[in-house]
Amino acid sequence: MTTENDHSPPESPLAAVKRTSAALFAVLDDPAQSSRHDVVRAELIELHLPLVDHCARRFRSRGEPFEDLVQVGTIGLIKSVDRFDTGRGVEFSTYATPTIIGEIKRHFRDKGWAIRVPRRLQELRMQITATTAELTQSLGRSPTPTELAASIGCTMEEVVEGLESGNAYSTLSLDAGDSSDDGAFTMLDTMGVEDDGLENVELRESLKPLLAALPAREKNILMLRFFKNMTQSQIATEVGVSQMHVSRLLSRTLDHLREALSESP
Amino acid sequence: MRPDAELRLPVDPAFVSVLRATAVSMAARLNFTVDDIEDLRMAVSEAAGLVLPEQPAESSDLLCEFYFGTDKMSVRVSARSESPAPVDQSDFAWQVLSALTVDASTVIESDTLAVTFSVQSTATS
Repeated sequence: MTTENDHSPPESPLAAVKRTSAALFAVLDDPAQSSRHDVVRAELIELHLPLVDHCARRFRSRGEPFEDLVQVGTIGLIKSVDRFDTGRGVEFSTYATPTIIGEIKRHFRDKGWAIRVPRRLQELRMQITATTAELTQSLGRSPTPTELAASIGCTMEEVVEGLESGNAYSTLSLDAGDSSDDGAFTMLDTMGVEDDGLENVELRESLKPLLAALPAREKNILMLRFFKNMTQSQIATEVGVSQMHVSRLLSRTLDHLREALSESP
Repeated sequence: MRPDAELRLPVDPAFVSVLRATAVSMAARLNFTVDDIEDLRMAVSEAAGLVLPEQPAESSDLLCEFYFGTDKMSVRVSARSESPAPVDQSDFAWQVLSALTVDASTVIESDTLAVTFSVQSTATS
């Protein structure tokens, strides 16, 4: 891109636009020429229309009609012209570009569908949504496609088609809360995580040979305590020793197992 | 009993959407409400997800049979595989399926894993 202080004679179109723009803004800022303001404002907007075109082109492959993008972009341009402050010392295009792009993005946010659906279906879908709400109210249950079709005045086929397209309307962020719930769960929460039990498998496998190596009485006490869920006193009666002894035996056996486990790699 | 409708698809998750669309389209003709249809759509997906084998048997198909009753549609989704594993009842897919439908059940017959369920129409209630 050429700049003004290059070889002066062939002035680049961009430089010409800049110069014209600056001149027009000067008029706009001049209170003495307020009668010309409307004309100059229109001139400025027209002068910068190619900028809108350029910005809109960036979004062309996203499914919205190009003309629509130019239209909303132009609104952004008009806002920029009205708000531009020449005193800031920046180029108008520098100021206007983010505003125009912002306007186009807003358009996508408001009107854009996550997955491209033909306009006819979009409208149908909106009708279906509205009519479903109405009929649900009057019927006391959700309506059938036949009832929807009769109410909207289209065929049942179209209702089915519209219902299909409804699922393309929005994609869900993984972090989005489940609106039907208290919002505590997000999509991400419902997805798989590593099972904590997995680690236990390893421990259990390492424990097996250790348990097998225990003396019969200790093994028996462990089993009664942890598998049959007996209290220490019950075990004491069962095995024929004092409760204190059971307690000692248990803690000694557990210590032994814990130690052996941490020793094994 | 002969199914009212039968759909035989390749054992490939990509075709589940065809199954879904077919089920939805049929239910729309059978006096099901929009809510019922949404339930059916999800149930069919989950069922297909459950039976789709990791190692499909030679010439295996995803077979879907639909039985139309009065205000009710029963669906049987099955596929043959090398080693059909029983459906884990604590599986998320199974929980969704059994929550959305009535009489959800699963069975292994030799090399075939099948999931059956019914969806009841709420249009007349």
